Amino acid sequence: MIPVRCFTCGKVISTAYEEYKRRRDENEDPKKILDDLGMDRYCCRCMLLTHKEIIDELNPYQ
Amino acid sequence: MKIEFSSLEEGSASFALDDASIAFANALRRAMISEVMAFAIEDVKIYDNASALFDEILTHRLGLIPLVTDPDSFVPRSKCSCNGAGCTRCTVTLTMSVEGPCMVTSGDLISQDSVVRPALDNIPIVKLEKNQKVVIEAQAYMERGMEHAKWSPTTICGYKNYPIITHDDRCDGCGLCVEVCPKEILLVKGSAIGLKDGALESCSLCRLCEQACLNSGIGDEPAIHIKMDDRRFLFTVESAGALPTVRIIKQGLLFLKNQSDELYEALSEIRG
Ligand code: SF4
Ligand code: SF4
Ligand SMILES: [Zn+2]
Ligand SMILES: [Zn+2]
Repeated sequence: MIPVRCFTCGKVISTAYEEYKRRRDENEDPKKILDDLGMDRYCCRCMLLTHKEIIDELNPYQ
Repeated sequence: MKIEFSSLEEGSASFALDDASIAFANALRRAMISEVMAFAIEDVKIYDNASALFDEILTHRLGLIPLVTDPDSFVPRSKCSCNGAGCTRCTVTLTMSVEGPCMVTSGDLISQDSVVRPALDNIPIVKLEKNQKVVIEAQAYMERGMEHAKWSPTTICGYKNYPIITHDDRCDGCGLCVEVCPKEILLVKGSAIGLKDGALESCSLCRLCEQACLNSGIGDEPAIHIKMDDRRFLFTVESAGALPTVRIIKQGLLFLKNQSDELYEALSEIRG
């Protein structure tokens, strides 16, 4: 799961992840998406840029 | 002492603090970060957690959700007459019961209080598959950010000295400093260097312009001078969601006032 807040500054970034993921999969430029989502600082931007969702891979082993 | 706002919104504010010492500016910064209280979830009873996340991780995620705080109708648990046991004057109970398949979000938390509730409803907590279930009861109370960052009402909260940019008459307007300025606030005005309108406050005091000027072979001193005003500060305060920024600033100032009153009283007692 995407971390609730940015590790560095504490801004809530998890709310932006769904939209980020959807638009990224539509091949939009990540820079533009992050700008639109109000991720001004590079700490918050890297939270979204570098996240790998693995919850769907874990779920079968419950 | 004077405060002049250049922007004031609920989520973020920036202002210039005038005629103050650097000690006061830093005290205010620290007060806002670590002394202004906000609500956050601290104790969680887990009745059922069939999700892929461990109880601890689930609880940690719940703790980081900013809760709208109403400092007037609640007392901090550490100062409450219940002696830390938790009562309705200091503690808010939130419950959540969700069955998959779905995404559990902060909006699924049902608060017993009408004001103290998640500041955002769409924070994802955990994704549930079919037959997975999460049933919890959480207790939230007010604490200082000093105890744990989840209680801090701020995200970004800092200041810099107010920049003073001057140039002397050796400047020939060659424009070398304009090119290196990362904030792009300089421009050549005739045969001397000048500033873009209203751009002074974004100067980061990096002094790259001075360096570029020196490199042009002007001598031992650059023609542009970057100085800091040590009685004037530019603050940036951003709220995490628990309190509006104006409230954070007010509470921070109030904390400083109470502390200095206390010190004054203690000193007067000693003097007799
Ligand atoms: S100190 Fe840095 S930001 Fe300020 S004017 Fe010089 S180059 Fe630009
Ligand atoms: S580099 Fe020096 S001489 Fe050239 S414009 Fe800037 S301040 Fe003036
Ligand atoms: Zn950040
Ligand atoms: Zn109590």
